[in-house]
Amino acid sequence: MKKKIVSVLLCATMISSMLAGCGSDSATTTEGTSEAATEEAAAESSDSAEASTDAGSGSVYLLNFKPETDGAWQDLAATYTEQTGVDVTVVTAADGQYKTTLQSELAKSEAPTIFNIGSTADCAEYANYIYDLKDSSLYEHLTDKSLALEYDGKVAAVANCYECYGIIYNKTILEGYCGLEGAVISSVDEIDNFETLNAVATDINNRVDEINDALGTNLTGAFASAGLDSGSNWRFSGHLAGLALYYEFKDAGCDLVAGQGTVTGKYLDNFKNVWDMYISTSSADAATLDSGAYNAEQELGLGEAVFYQNGDWEYAAFAPDNENGYIVTTDDLSMMPIYFGVDDENEGLAVGTENHWAVNAQASQEDIDSTLAFLDWVITSDEGRDAITNQMGLTAPFDTFTGEFESKNGFASMVNEYAAAGKTSVAWSFNATPSVDDWRADFVAPLTEYTERGGSWDDVKTAYVDQWAYYWELSNEQ
Amino acid sequence: MSEYSLAPFIKKRKGRIMEKAIKRYFPLFVMPTLIAFAIGFIVPFVYGIFLSFCKFTTVVDWSWVGLQNYARIFVVNGKLDTSFLHSIWYTALFTVTSVLIINVVAFAIGMALTKGIKGTNLFRTAFFLPNLIGGIVLSYIWLMIFNAVLQNFSKTIVYSQWYAFWGLIIVVCWQQIGYMMIIYIAGIQNIPGDLIEAAKIDGANAWQMLRNVTLPMLMPTITICSFLTLTNGFKLFDQNLALTGGNPGKMSQLLALNIYDTMYGTTGWQGVGQAKAVIFFILVAIIAVAQNKLTTSKEVES
Repeated sequence: MKKKIVSVLLCATMISSMLAGCGSDSATTTEGTSEAATEEAAAESSDSAEASTDAGSGSVYLLNFKPETDGAWQDLAATYTEQTGVDVTVVTAADGQYKTTLQSELAKSEAPTIFNIGSTADCAEYANYIYDLKDSSLYEHLTDKSLALEYDGKVAAVANCYECYGIIYNKTILEGYCGLEGAVISSVDEIDNFETLNAVATDINNRVDEINDALGTNLTGAFASAGLDSGSNWRFSGHLAGLALYYEFKDAGCDLVAGQGTVTGKYLDNFKNVWDMYISTSSADAATLDSGAYNAEQELGLGEAVFYQNGDWEYAAFAPDNENGYIVTTDDLSMMPIYFGVDDENEGLAVGTENHWAVNAQASQEDIDSTLAFLDWVITSDEGRDAITNQMGLTAPFDTFTGEFESKNGFASMVNEYAAAGKTSVAWSFNATPSVDDWRADFVAPLTEYTERGGSWDDVKTAYVDQWAYYWELSNEQ
Repeated sequence: MSEYSLAPFIKKRKGRIMEKAIKRYFPLFVMPTLIAFAIGFIVPFVYGIFLSFCKFTTVVDWSWVGLQNYARIFVVNGKLDTSFLHSIWYTALFTVTSVLIINVVAFAIGMALTKGIKGTNLFRTAFFLPNLIGGIVLSYIWLMIFNAVLQNFSKTIVYSQWYAFWGLIIVVCWQQIGYMMIIYIAGIQNIPGDLIEAAKIDGANAWQMLRNVTLPMLMPTITICSFLTLTNGFKLFDQNLALTGGNPGKMSQLLALNIYDTMYGTTGWQGVGQAKAVIFFILVAIIAVAQNKLTTSKEVES
C-alpha cells in the first residue's frame, strides 16, 4: 500500500512540475526561416543578383506586437527568405507580455531589429535603441506624417497601421426602434450629439420588453456592460479618458498625442456624463462591474445590447464567417463617434495607433540595412500589402496601399465618411499618458469606487489630475 | 559535523580507498550541478544586486545611480510612498494567517487519516489533488466561484482589500493543505509504535499523547512544513495576479506582485523594482533562517 502511495506521489510531482514548466513560456517562438529555403534562394541569387544586393547581407528579427497577426507574419517572412535569401525571424510576444519580452530580447546578442513602440513615452524609455527613420522609404511613403513618433530630433518610429474607436451600434435594431411609436428619434442620423444619444439609450433601456415584443429582439439593455475588470477597463481609462485629454490638449494648444505635464480635468464632467449613461442604460449590475464575469462583445453579438464602445479591431469578430456563434454580423453594425458633449457637431471618430515600428539602432549596420529593405518590401510588394490588408486586416497608413490593397474594414472606412462630412477625427491623446499602466490603475480605482460603492467623484478627478503630474514628473526626470 | 559520518569507514581499508576516490573525483561529480547552480542562480543573483544600483532599460543597458533606487522605494518626489510598506505588512499578515491555517488543518487531517478509517486512501488522494492544478488555473476557477456567490450580495472578490485577503487565503489553503497533509502523514507514520505503546501503558490520555509524544516526535516535520508554507506565503505571485490582480487599487498587492508591477508598470523604474527585489530577498532570508533555527531547536531524538 505504501509503495502505491509513493508511486502516486512521484507521478503527481512529475505532472505538477510539467504544468509549472508550461506556464513560464511567455513568448511563442517560431522561426520564420528554413534552411532549405535559404539554400534554394542562395542558388537562385546568381540569377537575381540585383534583388539580393538590395536586400542586404544582414538578418532581420521582428518582435511582433499583435498576437493575432503571428501566422500571417510567419508566412510573409518565409516568402521573403525564399525570394532574397535574407533570414527573417518573427517572434510574437504573448498578449500583454510585450514589454517583458522586449526587455529580455533586447538584452540578447541576437536582439530584435524591429520592435513596437506605443507612444512618445516609450521613445524616452528606449532612447538608446532608436534608429532615425527620417531617410527610410517607410517614412517617405507615410501619408500622414503625424503618424510618426518624433523624439530627440529623430523620426523614432513609424506607424504601421492606424485604428479608430467610437461607439459600435446595431443599426438594424436602432432603425427598428426609430419606427416604433413614441421613439425619441425618427432616423438614426438624428443622433449627432450627446443629449440625443443619452435620450435614445435611456428610452431603449426603459422600454426593453416593449421593443423585444415589437421587433422580435432579445435586448437586455441599451449599452453593453462597461466592465471594470482589467480585461475591459482600458476602454474607459484609456479610450474614453482619451477624449477628455484630447479636448484639454486642444484648448492648451499643445501636441495632441505628446501631451503636457499637467492636466486640469476640465472635461471630466463630460466623462462623467458619458460614464453615467454607460452604466445606467446597461443591464449589468453596476456593483459587480469589476468581477470579470461580463463579456460586452458577446452582448452585442447576441443582440442583447445596441451600443458598445470599442474600436475597429472588433470588426473581424463580427465577420459572417467567424464561427463564434454571434447572430449579429458586420452587416448590422456601424460606428459613431463617442459624443462627448463638448464639440459634438465637429467630432469624428478617434483615429490613431499604438503600433509603430522602430528599428534597433544597436544592431549592426548590415542588419539595419537588411531590416529597412525588408520593411520597404513589406509595404511595396504585392505579397506584403496583401498580407497586411487581407490577412492581418489592418489599415495601413502608406501611400502604396491603393486599389485592391485598401482596407476592407467596415469600421475603418467610417473614418473617411465622417471626415467627408466635415468632422474632425479625434487624436489618440491617451498615448501621452505617463507610466500608462500605473496611471490607469490609479484612475480606475476611484472610478470603481464611485461606480460600485457610491464613492466620491472628486476622488476620480484627484486621481486624474494629481497622478498625471506625479507620473509625468517621474518619467521625465533624469 | 562531518567527522561522525565518515568515522566508521576510516578503520576499514575499503572505506579508506572509497574516501580517497570520493576526494579525487569530487569535483567531477559536483561540477555539473555547480555549473547549473551558478548559471541559474549565483550569476543572476549577483548581477541582480549590481543592477539594483543602476538605472536600466534592458539588463545590458545600464548606468550607475548608486543608492537612488533604494531611496525611491520609500520617498518619491519628496513624498512618502507607502505602497511598498503596505504590501510588506499585508504580505506578512497573509503569511502568518496562511501558515497557521494550513499547518493546523493539514496536521488535523493528517491525524484523522492515519487512524485507519474507511476510505483513507481515497481521502488522501482527494485532499492532495488541488495541489496538482497550477496556481493560475486554480485562481481563475475560484474567481468564478467567489464572484458567482458574491453576486447575490452585489459584491465582488475585490470589493475591499479584506475580501481579496480572505479570497487569497482560501485559494492558498485549498491548494497547499493536501500537500502538507502528505508530509504530516509520513511524519506521523514514522513515530515508533513502541513509544506510543509505552505511553499508553503509562496511562496517558489522548491529549497527553498528542502533547508529549506526537508533537515532539513530529518537530522535524513541523520544521519542513512551516518552512515551506512560510516561504510560499512570502513568494506568492500566480494566485495574487490571477485572483485579485492587486485590486482594489493596488491594495491587495503582495510583495512579489508589487515588485513585478514596479518593474514593468512604472516607466523607467526597472532599477527600483530590482532594489525592491533585493530587499525582498533579505527579508525572506532572515525570516526563513530564524524560523528554521526556532523549530529545529525544538526537535528531539527518539
